[in-house]
Amino acid sequence: MTQEPDREIVAGEYVLGLLDGAEKEALERRMAGDAKLDAAVARWQARLAPIDATARPIEPSAGLWQRIEGGLDQAAARSPAVASHPALRVRLSQWWDSLWLWRGTALAGIAATLLLAFGLVAALDRARRQPVMVAVLLTETNVAAAVVNTFADGRVELLPLQDIAVPQGRALEIWTLWDRAAGPRSVGLIDRARAVPLRLDNLPLGADQLFEITVEPAAGSPTGRPTGPIVAKGLTARRL
Amino acid sequence: MAVNAAQSQGAGIEQALVACAGGDKNALRRIYDQECPRMIGVAQRMLKRRALAEEAVQDSFILIWRHAGRFDPQRGSGLTWIYAILRNRALSILRDERRMETDESPIAVEAASDEDDPETVMAKLSDAKALRGCLETLPAPRRGMVLLAFVQGLSHGEIAGKLGMPLGTVKSWIRRSLIALRECLG
Repeated sequence: MTQEPDREIVAGEYVLGLLDGAEKEALERRMAGDAKLDAAVARWQARLAPIDATARPIEPSAGLWQRIEGGLDQAAARSPAVASHPALRVRLSQWWDSLWLWRGTALAGIAATLLLAFGLVAALDRARRQPVMVAVLLTETNVAAAVVNTFADGRVELLPLQDIAVPQGRALEIWTLWDRAAGPRSVGLIDRARAVPLRLDNLPLGADQLFEITVEPAAGSPTGRPTGPIVAKGLTARRL
Repeated sequence: MAVNAAQSQGAGIEQALVACAGGDKNALRRIYDQECPRMIGVAQRMLKRRALAEEAVQDSFILIWRHAGRFDPQRGSGLTWIYAILRNRALSILRDERRMETDESPIAVEAASDEDDPETVMAKLSDAKALRGCLETLPAPRRGMVLLAFVQGLSHGEIAGKLGMPLGTVKSWIRRSLIALRECLG
């Protein structure tokens, strides 16, 4: 139970931007369930708002609106609502009853088994190969939290070296940055520390390229850029 | 007059947020036309670099669009809600993402513009605002700490470093200033 004056002070410190990463996250979680704290934050935001009105307006550069509009479409594409569409559900149930579907599935199953068998041999062969580059991702206290391995065939994988605490409803997002101007790009999202292949697709990959892990909402960063605290980061280096 | 204009602009923002929640991109554009230059100004005071300030504003508009349905007029005005999102985003860039910059110096070491100096900001605060009167009741160094945090986004440690004061003193002075401001502003 927070005392009245303490609640007012911590709410004020939050609005001034003075809480550090962990304190800030903890307060935001508390605000969700504590209406008095949330109201105290809202009061400070309103009290200090006139200070923002003193900022000198700066004309946006050409293209800022276009970049925002592009981001809106991306944001919409991240949450497709097709599964709840009634017409689609009807079509899905018709497929389910189709004999041709099941015959086709059986044949596809046989084909997939054969492909998997070939693929397994190839995968075992690949697994024997050594990584071309390695990045060791260190925490703020310089503890090795994960490694990123890159292979000659273009595969990139993340292997955790220790457990990483992920708050409820959050996930770990993996980012790479090869050019400050292009900004960081998301290459993977995991619910907890586990080995995962990273999707670099056509992104550049070279030595001294930054990889990092941040804590983000469960569906990934809402902006397409890192928004949460950094768990670990490191630069790629070539193997001798 | 000025107060009426500000109030009607505020009401426009709230209507636009409701329209955004309904998927109207033109409503977001109206907010952009009205507030974007001031938003870049606020972000620039914290992030110092123009490119980062625009990045914060770009991210904020995407967040405003996505979360417009969560805006609650009971909790505060639409403008305050928008600037809270912007400040949050700018602070994240300031505190976390600067570590992504492997080849650049930290933002905090960059010199702030004289325009963002606490006493200059004080002079620009509207006389009509109770906040100005209440800030004036604080001794100048304490007022300065509050403004350095809010305007430039400095941390306790950065304020202590800038003013050459012990960290504990900075923390307790800011707390006492908050108590005094709350009593004065109600």
